[in-house]
Amino acid sequence: MALLNEEIRGQVREMLAELPDAVRLVVFKKPEDCSYCETIEELVTEIAETSENVSVEVYDFTQDQDKVAEFKIDKAPVIAIVGARDYGLRFFGVPANYEFTTLLHGIQAAGTGKSIQLDGATKDYLAALDKPVHYQVFVTPTCPYCPGAAVMAFDMAVESDLVRADVVEASEFPELSSRYNVMGVPLNIINETQRVEGRAPATMIVEAIESSL
Amino acid sequence: MFEFKIGEELAKPGATGGLYDLVVIGAGPAGMTAAIYAARNSIKTLVLEKSSLGGLAATTELIENYPGFPEGIAGAELMDRFQKQARRFGAEIIEFDEVLQIEPVKQGLLRARTDSGEVYEARAVLIATGSRPKKLHLPGEDEFYGRGLSYCATCDGPLFKNKDVVVIGTGSSGLQEGLNLLGYAKHVTFVEFLPYSPAEKILQKRTMSHEKSTFYFNQQVTEIKGERVVTAVVMKDRATGEVQELPTEGVFVYVGYAPDTKFVEGQVEMNKWGYVKTDGKMHTNMEGIFAAGDVRADNVAQVTVAVSDGTKAALAVREYLAVL
Repeated sequence: MALLNEEIRGQVREMLAELPDAVRLVVFKKPEDCSYCETIEELVTEIAETSENVSVEVYDFTQDQDKVAEFKIDKAPVIAIVGARDYGLRFFGVPANYEFTTLLHGIQAAGTGKSIQLDGATKDYLAALDKPVHYQVFVTPTCPYCPGAAVMAFDMAVESDLVRADVVEASEFPELSSRYNVMGVPLNIINETQRVEGRAPATMIVEAIESSL
Repeated sequence: MFEFKIGEELAKPGATGGLYDLVVIGAGPAGMTAAIYAARNSIKTLVLEKSSLGGLAATTELIENYPGFPEGIAGAELMDRFQKQARRFGAEIIEFDEVLQIEPVKQGLLRARTDSGEVYEARAVLIATGSRPKKLHLPGEDEFYGRGLSYCATCDGPLFKNKDVVVIGTGSSGLQEGLNLLGYAKHVTFVEFLPYSPAEKILQKRTMSHEKSTFYFNQQVTEIKGERVVTAVVMKDRATGEVQELPTEGVFVYVGYAPDTKFVEGQVEMNKWGYVKTDGKMHTNMEGIFAAGDVRADNVAQVTVAVSDGTKAALAVREYLAVL
């Protein structure tokens, strides 16, 4: 049975109808211990069926070392959302429930090369960055505040080649979650050191980036 | 087993500015209902929300008693629909900007100053700031917030898969969210201050008959213990004085609600708990300032009631603007 019903499929079709740039959804699966890998592949395939601009590639995290290196993948399952170039948008785990919104906005951002909700001052700040920023957002599929936080990360990654944005479904990556003590979501971790709890406005994220550099 | 939802909460256009007929403070059910009614009546409306849209209702996993949804509806989805309906009629909604002050300028002109430094002018203001979860004010509470202590089971529940968790408070919210936690956790222990649960009977039945639940009544929680993260809840039996430590990895707090009215203290008349007093048409004691929803004195905190209040307030605002 299809994962997406007709109504959702129609909405997705509309959202992805006019992307200026082609978007590749590059999936890395694990051969073992991955209960949701098939779901992820099925989901991105159904999304790609709605739009000519979206294509799917599937690789094996343990076998396809050249691709793992090309996309700098350190864990799986993951979807790399790649537009005209690789802006650094990654979704780790199944983008189910509210997180489906995050994936779609990621595709839109990658397909337009433009952020959705950043103001001029934030864009200027990002354009002037001269050091790399690793921006991780931990989420759960049932958290209504999480897509807002995740989209902020994707937006910032699209605006600056120095920012890479990893959105992580926390319950699927327990080891990583325990490394950062993720016990509440959304949780933003900037450059492994700065911790911003909750869905935060751009100004707070910019402050955290500042403190981390 | 999986659901996929598309939310619209990410669209975030700025305000068009100028003089608004109505500024609504708070984008929960009361505020958004008022915005739907007002905007549909061609009243130029701006809604200012200090956090994300939807208020407390948006963090409720499932709302089963809002009419029209026989299977129940996720709180966040219901609030997303309210928001779409308000925007459809032209209401402007801004998130993440908290109103710090309402300043009466002259008859028919009020100014709302926000945290971001914006000043919005309006002919009428509706306070619909609702209420937020009360804290326990106990040792360990702030220290372990986000480190095992949570006020949102809907958000954080999945992080406690196969773990032991404690829910403090067995009112309807505590049991509703506890039920949600029972779906993830290994075991859920409920702790209640009263000798009984004040929750709706149907929720009591569902949680108490659950094989993974334990209930303690008449218990005073005295401390949240931990080391970097939560490790235990300490409670004292109010009858026997016996102190007991419950080892746990997660604590969810549902001990009632308090209003968000600090910003109008000394201006708008309130009761001793800080809830705003109004008449039956939602007028406060100050001209041009109305209140609706959970924030109102002697009200019941239900989405249906907030919707009713928001409706009455919007109609009262229309009347007020007509004679201004």
